[in-house]
Amino acid sequence: MSASTGSIQLPPLHEERLDNGATVVVAQRPGVPLVAVRLVISAGAALDPTRGHGLANLVAQVARRGTAQRTGRQIDDRIESLGSELGAGSDEDATYFGLSAPAEFLSELLDVVVDVATGPVFPAREWDRLRRREVAGLAHVLDEPGAVADRAMIDAVYRGHPYGHPTDGRARHIESLRRSDAVTFHRRWFAPAATTLVVVGAVDPPAALALARRKLGRWRTRGEEPPAIPPAGAVPRRVLVVDKGDITQTQVRIASLAIPRATPEYFQALVTNAVFGGGFTSRLMEEIRVNRGLSYGVRSRFAMSRATGIFFVSSFTKVDTTAELVRVVLDEAERFSADGPREEELERAKNYLSGLFPLSLETHEQVAERLADVKLYGIDLADVTDYRERVRGVTAQQCLEVARRHFPLARGVIVAVGPVKQVAPALEPFGPITVLPARKVI
Amino acid sequence: MIRTPEAPIIELERVVTRELPNGLRVRLLADRNAPTVSYYTFFQVGSRNERLGTTGISHLFEHMMFNGAARYGPKEFDRVLESRGGSSNAYTSNDVTAYYEDFSGDALETVIDLESDRMRSLALTPETLEQERQVVKEERRLRTENSIFGLMEEQLEALVFLAHPYRWPVIGWMEDIDRITREDCVEFFGTYYAPGNAVIYAVGDFQPEEALASIEGAYAGIPAGPAPRPVAQGEPPQRGERRAVVRYPSQAAAVLVGWRGPAARSADSAALDILQTVLAVGEASRLRRRLVESEELAVSVHVSWGWRIDPGVFLAFAELAPGVKVGSAERVLWEEIAKVAGKGISPGELRRAQRLLRSAVLHELATHNGVAHSLGQAEALLGDWREAGRALEQYAAVGIKDVRRVAASWLDPAKRCVVTLEPESAK
Repeated sequence: MSASTGSIQLPPLHEERLDNGATVVVAQRPGVPLVAVRLVISAGAALDPTRGHGLANLVAQVARRGTAQRTGRQIDDRIESLGSELGAGSDEDATYFGLSAPAEFLSELLDVVVDVATGPVFPAREWDRLRRREVAGLAHVLDEPGAVADRAMIDAVYRGHPYGHPTDGRARHIESLRRSDAVTFHRRWFAPAATTLVVVGAVDPPAALALARRKLGRWRTRGEEPPAIPPAGAVPRRVLVVDKGDITQTQVRIASLAIPRATPEYFQALVTNAVFGGGFTSRLMEEIRVNRGLSYGVRSRFAMSRATGIFFVSSFTKVDTTAELVRVVLDEAERFSADGPREEELERAKNYLSGLFPLSLETHEQVAERLADVKLYGIDLADVTDYRERVRGVTAQQCLEVARRHFPLARGVIVAVGPVKQVAPALEPFGPITVLPARKVI
Repeated sequence: MIRTPEAPIIELERVVTRELPNGLRVRLLADRNAPTVSYYTFFQVGSRNERLGTTGISHLFEHMMFNGAARYGPKEFDRVLESRGGSSNAYTSNDVTAYYEDFSGDALETVIDLESDRMRSLALTPETLEQERQVVKEERRLRTENSIFGLMEEQLEALVFLAHPYRWPVIGWMEDIDRITREDCVEFFGTYYAPGNAVIYAVGDFQPEEALASIEGAYAGIPAGPAPRPVAQGEPPQRGERRAVVRYPSQAAAVLVGWRGPAARSADSAALDILQTVLAVGEASRLRRRLVESEELAVSVHVSWGWRIDPGVFLAFAELAPGVKVGSAERVLWEEIAKVAGKGISPGELRRAQRLLRSAVLHELATHNGVAHSLGQAEALLGDWREAGRALEQYAAVGIKDVRRVAASWLDPAKRCVVTLEPESAK
């Protein structure tokens, strides 16, 4: 069998819809004697109230700080004494609880994970403390130029859309949120029908399913059907300069609205991106790092969600060469949209993606995450098993069309974080400029 | 087949080893759980082998290795690898420079060809040196000059080490990056990239006998090199706390503390890992509970014991909440360390730390890349790749008394080095 052909072998999946509407997926895998547990609720930051950005994330953080059965400290002590750490967080579409631990502790792990997701009591002291911690954490974000750029980009490209704010929220929103907001968010959106539990690793599937039925099947609450997220509208070209006077290197993001995860364009987008700004030999890497020494790193990516995702380029360069970097990225985007990939590049990108795909399914956690995503985005499992065949089928013409539709050509935002006095004049040729002090980004 | 918890974590007896006449060492482990191979080349060279004036040459040289050799010209290394369904990367540390490729099994011959080509006949042109110099300077701006932790860490290492080359940063001083010449690179390559200074580790889906034959065929003709100069040892005794201040327009203060510890191969290393876990791994760790949860002095706290060939650093880093003074966070830090050194830890804390470390080891060994890297780390830092399979036994053998003893002996208040970050208003 050649490197880049052949179907991807997944372990047999044992899937069940419980009586209460929750979905459970179990897979037994060889390898290390661990088990990965991932519980996903399809309610994320897109459901944050208009003036309550950061609520979904806070709900996830505070949920683990106490339930009717356990205090936050008891939860930490229990989980960590088994050799695990509980992860909790949100993205725009969902809230996640996950951990990985020696497989012999599966029953205890499920007890705690299900308890945290289904029965949090949001203790008032913990709610207040974590709000303070999140606000303090945001202050530190201001000291990381790359993180400032990412936040500014999301804001600028999604202007006013439910996806248009960072999931960890804004300081003044977090300060104004009330504990009752968290209780209400949980009651409305956390429900069995919105829940998927995935268990992957050194487990016996019938026994794991029985455990899941017993622990998750008891959860009886109806919740509400979340509103559908509208598609986002394209943004005209603009330049946003976030002023950070103290840094010697500008962080640059160039972004446009693109595609949701469940789209027939998915594999075309993967291949297009691999040629343009994916691997070490991409066009952007070649022009920016290899030929010009402008940066240590540059990459592009289609970030996909349930609704409209984005395509973005991310890089950084010394302040003096900010405009040159932006110019090269835009020129390369134009060139790609005019000519598409060369045959040799296309072939290399397909082999690269196909050859490396098994590496993204090497650990129990990776497989659990992939299976949870299949459910969350409502995509076909064949996107995983027939990955290589689907990558193979992409044509140069399709890449060209993907680039023309989604690359930031005439549209899209350019975000630069750096000293405004030097950066703003340099970027004037690229579009109307807005200047934002860095503190406005949190 | 599911491995039971009692099964060995790496089947050491299945590792096939060889030393070629030119000194190149080879370690191969077949594993068919995933259809991939990870191929590591470890060169026993890092910033500890450098001298003032050309600091950072190990790291700059790592960049040069991707710029073409006799058979595969400029830009071809990654192009050929990617077109065969693989990817590569590398890193440089204080002690080693490691290169790796991850790929699907049938590309092994290609990878052996690519790696042996650059070990035999790397092209070192003035043009690529200039270009990589610019890239490395951007890397330094990214990771050090515009990173608070980077700025503080650079100060800390210079406090902890007065004489040893661990004193300077792996990426090198900016002026040294500018100063390195092509001649420096040629000499560096001849010494540190000779086969006798390298070890190959391959783990994954392949036939060991066939792979060994290919490796011998590809590398055997590379001439042996001169023995590298030994690294000068010795550090004057520390007779009191050392301090440095970094003033920077940050939103909040921070504190970074370091103590000089033992060499990685010391029997105390495993106990220091337990100590690190008790102090700051997980929400239930002592420092997170006190600094972040109870007193809300910090938004995060990290502790790390870094295993190195020569005596390394045990460090603690806390990012403080805005408005909190460094002094109040330091006071809690010193109290908590004195508590462990004076009263030790509980059996429950020991068990928790051992289980967390066991999970961490198992996670690392869950991928071919992780196994190959562990074998290489163990050989480079501890002198024997077999140590990679013994990590769990070593953690299991640590007792409560050991943790107290290492805290008392290594985290002496008179021997600590402290770097504080003082926020200043933006210009």
